[in-house]
Amino acid sequence: MTWLRNVLVDLADDSPEVDLAERTIAAHHRRRLTAISYGAAAMVVVVALGVTAAIRLLPGVPQDAASVRDLPARGVGPLSHAYQTFCKPHSGKAPAGCRDGGWRVVTRSGRTYHVPEALPGLAPGRTGVRDSPLAISRDARKIAYYSAEEGTFQVRDLASGRTTTAARKVPETRLGRLSRLMLSDDGRFLAFSKVPDLTDPAVLFDLRDGIARDLPNRWVPIGLSPNGSTITLAEYSPRSRLRTISNLWPSSSKSDTTSVTLPAHYLISPLAPDGKTVAVIENLSTAEKPCRHGRLAFMDTLTGEKRKTTAISGLPSDVSQISLRTWLNTEEVTALTSSVRCRPASEEPIKVGVAIEQPYRTMTAYAVNVRTGKARKLATYRAQGIVAIVLPGPPGTR
Amino acid sequence: MDRNDSFREFVVDHQQALMRTAYLLTGDAHQAEDLLQNVLLKVLGRWSRLARVEHPEAYARKALVNQHISWRRRRVRSEFPTAEPPDRPYSSEDSTVVRLVMRRALMRLPPRQRAVIVLRYYEDRTERETAELMNCSVGTVKSQAHYALARLRELAPDLAPKLTDLEAEEAYR
Repeated sequence: MTWLRNVLVDLADDSPEVDLAERTIAAHHRRRLTAISYGAAAMVVVVALGVTAAIRLLPGVPQDAASVRDLPARGVGPLSHAYQTFCKPHSGKAPAGCRDGGWRVVTRSGRTYHVPEALPGLAPGRTGVRDSPLAISRDARKIAYYSAEEGTFQVRDLASGRTTTAARKVPETRLGRLSRLMLSDDGRFLAFSKVPDLTDPAVLFDLRDGIARDLPNRWVPIGLSPNGSTITLAEYSPRSRLRTISNLWPSSSKSDTTSVTLPAHYLISPLAPDGKTVAVIENLSTAEKPCRHGRLAFMDTLTGEKRKTTAISGLPSDVSQISLRTWLNTEEVTALTSSVRCRPASEEPIKVGVAIEQPYRTMTAYAVNVRTGKARKLATYRAQGIVAIVLPGPPGTR
Repeated sequence: MDRNDSFREFVVDHQQALMRTAYLLTGDAHQAEDLLQNVLLKVLGRWSRLARVEHPEAYARKALVNQHISWRRRRVRSEFPTAEPPDRPYSSEDSTVVRLVMRRALMRLPPRQRAVIVLRYYEDRTERETAELMNCSVGTVKSQAHYALARLRELAPDLAPKLTDLEAEEAYR
């Protein structure tokens, strides 16, 4: 059974990513106009009767949103993404079965599960101010989250169900307003950072050896060398900066740190597969012109030097927010985008403090080729904002 | 939220899972997209009713399976996988070759048998659920699964032991 299922899942992995909503609506509209012109009202009655009969015969389907189950103890396949749900968006509806601040994971085969072991986040302005981050390893087979029961972070292998708990406790009250987690490819290392700084440092855990070391706060972890000895961090506010800390686990000597402050404000990707560069897009958006973005380039993480600058093509003109995420190969990086009306902020004021309870909306991921600038569509997601979506790999810098 | 918004939300939540099933049923990305598009058009046509039922996705899935079966009955054109499996013997542990062989073998199954394999072994449905989705009896599901596995053994003799084990496992379930 498992063998054949695995083969079929492998085959299904070749299926194309699609976005059929708009196409279907347009086709339906055309078809309706044609149907009206031919006066096919009688047919509609017949079809409606058929639907009624079909609905009565329907079996219960476990994957419906209303019946999202808790994450099984083991035997879960690789994930496509995870998203956090807040149940009182200021417009529109929350997904069926919404758990306030809870995390859901979605497998590549399309199954959605609640993650009850992950501490729910709090909604600013309603239930409190506390984030609760979740990370997915780049191979999509492990997750990391904050366990309220353990008072610290846990890493879970989705197939075997094996969990590993970090050796150092992190109080819930120190999770910050916005926190980030990065899980290494092998699940051994886990980096946690947050804003505001509070009094606790950010932490890099070695879950295999049960040790931890402090990291500077406010910096987003964007890459870790395979042996865990060098970490790359990025800061996007108030200025864009990159920092590399090597020799992280010294027995006698001190760690080496290299920092570079960038001359402009950039959107920064996770560390590229070469371990030395990141992809950057100059962020030219302003409150009055929210949809302006600069050119795409490779950037050396140690010197901040830009290489191979190119214009991005293939993104819709109304993309107002971009978050660079996982590298798909040596040349393509994932760009998670959100499109809202490109109106000046003065015409559409943002309510500070309730941003996380935005309405659920559709976001689109593109694979962007860093050499040619060409973007190709990968998938769509529905969530309350870009920060509410976690893709496999390091977190986005915004 | 208007009618189209709730439909968009439904499509975003379910299209990828439905597309995977459609792809296994048709074996071709373009046909899978056509099939799913056709089913979503049906869903949208009935959305004012379906949006009020508990499981609109179940309707879509049932429509997908049955649309596939009726399309395949009418269509006589043959399908060709994009990659050829090797003529020489191969190991059942070589996942790339196994995938090619299974893909080609699946495409040669009649539509109902293929649907049974996808629903029972990919979606992990019970015999009863499979029967309800295919509008047939549990007995038909059992016999179709038996014939489908037998045919797969013929089409992919190197994988026959694995498929035989599978049927033996089934007998104990």
